[in-house]
Amino acid sequence: MNNILELTDLSKELDHFRLNKVSFSLMEGCITGFIGVNGSGKTTTIKTILGLILKDGGSIKLFGKEMTEHERDLKNRIGVVLDEGYFYDDMTLKEMKNIISPAYKSWDEDVFVSYIKRFNLSLNQKISTLSKGMRMKYAITLALSHHADLLIMDEPTSGLDPLVRSELMDLLLEFMKEEGKTVFFSTHMTSDLDKIADMLILIDDGKILLSEEKDQLLDTHAIVKGDNKLLNEQTRKLFLVLRETAYGFEGVTSKKSSVHQQMSDVLIEKPTIEDIMLAYIGGSKDAI
Amino acid sequence: MLFNLVIKDFIIAKKYLVFMLVFAIVGPIFITSKLELNNGGFISFVVTALYSLYILFNTVSMSEDKYKGSALLCATPYTRSSLVKAKYLFICVLFICSVAVYTMVSYIVPELLGRLNITNIGLAFLIVTVFFGILIPVQFRFGFEKTKFIAFIVVFLTPFIFPPIVEWLESNPSLNVTFSLPQMLRGWLPFVLTLLIGLVSMNISIRIYSRKNL
Repeated sequence: MNNILELTDLSKELDHFRLNKVSFSLMEGCITGFIGVNGSGKTTTIKTILGLILKDGGSIKLFGKEMTEHERDLKNRIGVVLDEGYFYDDMTLKEMKNIISPAYKSWDEDVFVSYIKRFNLSLNQKISTLSKGMRMKYAITLALSHHADLLIMDEPTSGLDPLVRSELMDLLLEFMKEEGKTVFFSTHMTSDLDKIADMLILIDDGKILLSEEKDQLLDTHAIVKGDNKLLNEQTRKLFLVLRETAYGFEGVTSKKSSVHQQMSDVLIEKPTIEDIMLAYIGGSKDAI
Repeated sequence: MLFNLVIKDFIIAKKYLVFMLVFAIVGPIFITSKLELNNGGFISFVVTALYSLYILFNTVSMSEDKYKGSALLCATPYTRSSLVKAKYLFICVLFICSVAVYTMVSYIVPELLGRLNITNIGLAFLIVTVFFGILIPVQFRFGFEKTKFIAFIVVFLTPFIFPPIVEWLESNPSLNVTFSLPQMLRGWLPFVLTLLIGLVSMNISIRIYSRKNL
């Protein structure tokens, strides 16, 4: 599989935050989840990829071409959904579409109309009157109506009810059925990724902590529970995060096989993506 | 593409377009009759045009500042420079509309409004270009909120300061710079200056906006 997007040592210094040599790549035909807590750098990274925030250093290659040199051509192949929509709220859906559509070489009005019908949107409705869910559907309609190869979405599920979130996930899976399509979306709601993500990239404090296949990540990591007596200097090193109480310990490990070898009589459970994310960033579930 | 971005500005400002059309018709007549100016309607046209353009431009800027729509547009194949160029084109289109409206009104009520000649139009365009040539880059640099106070003061002082200055200049011919250029070229000079100032300002704005984080 080809690399659709390659970020190498991407750096950006902002007032109270910096992206610290962010490097990762997206593979063609994959849904990649970009996870991290609020303020970890997800939006800054996405905005930098899109050229909305100017990078201080590093390289952004899309479809093998440097983004800064071929920005206009490359953006024709990207569909974008931004977290706050960034729509002119006083416009109608039709007016907004009439502004966006001429920007794309391969805008397909039939596709646009079919999504509008599917989502029961009214073209004469003002954007300000749309609910959060409808707004997201409209944003996706705009993003998918020019046959984009890469769909970039920033927190698309944030603030949506479970039904709309589920609809969105189905839509992404449908989009992926076509050959050569790739999805990159950021979220702090990791439950969305359990169902659909192929790859996961974890960012925290502007640094990439891990970039791996979801299934491999879930296979190699485990939640381990057991008696405190099993913990010693050697076994403690096997855990990314460890919580000890009077009744025993609970920890997340990335060395499942070593735990098997070195610790008998422990309970090993399959972790969720959230468990793994929190283990790497050193937080607890309550922190999210 | 540029054309669509100008249309976008008109859609944003559409609520005020009818009001501004009425103002563009009534404004020059009112100013000329109240101030009893004897300069063929030039000052009343400049003041009205400047007001109308500023209010419409400001409406668009306010909406851009509120909704950050330009961030979405920059995420599409629209370039940052095309967004900047569209702002200047928007002002040009509005100015042309102002001239058209004023000319129509001056044909309807010739006893109240004098017709604009090419030199007057050129001078008015030059004044408008100087004003927006400063305002647009400043707004791109400092944002809408910080800029609006400065602009408000300048615009609201214009009717009080501008007519006396022009009247004074007209009553003191010795102060007028005498060009050794032929009459016809002198008539086109404001347009040349307008073009130069506009281009310089646009390039400054493009540079500023190309370095901005959206």
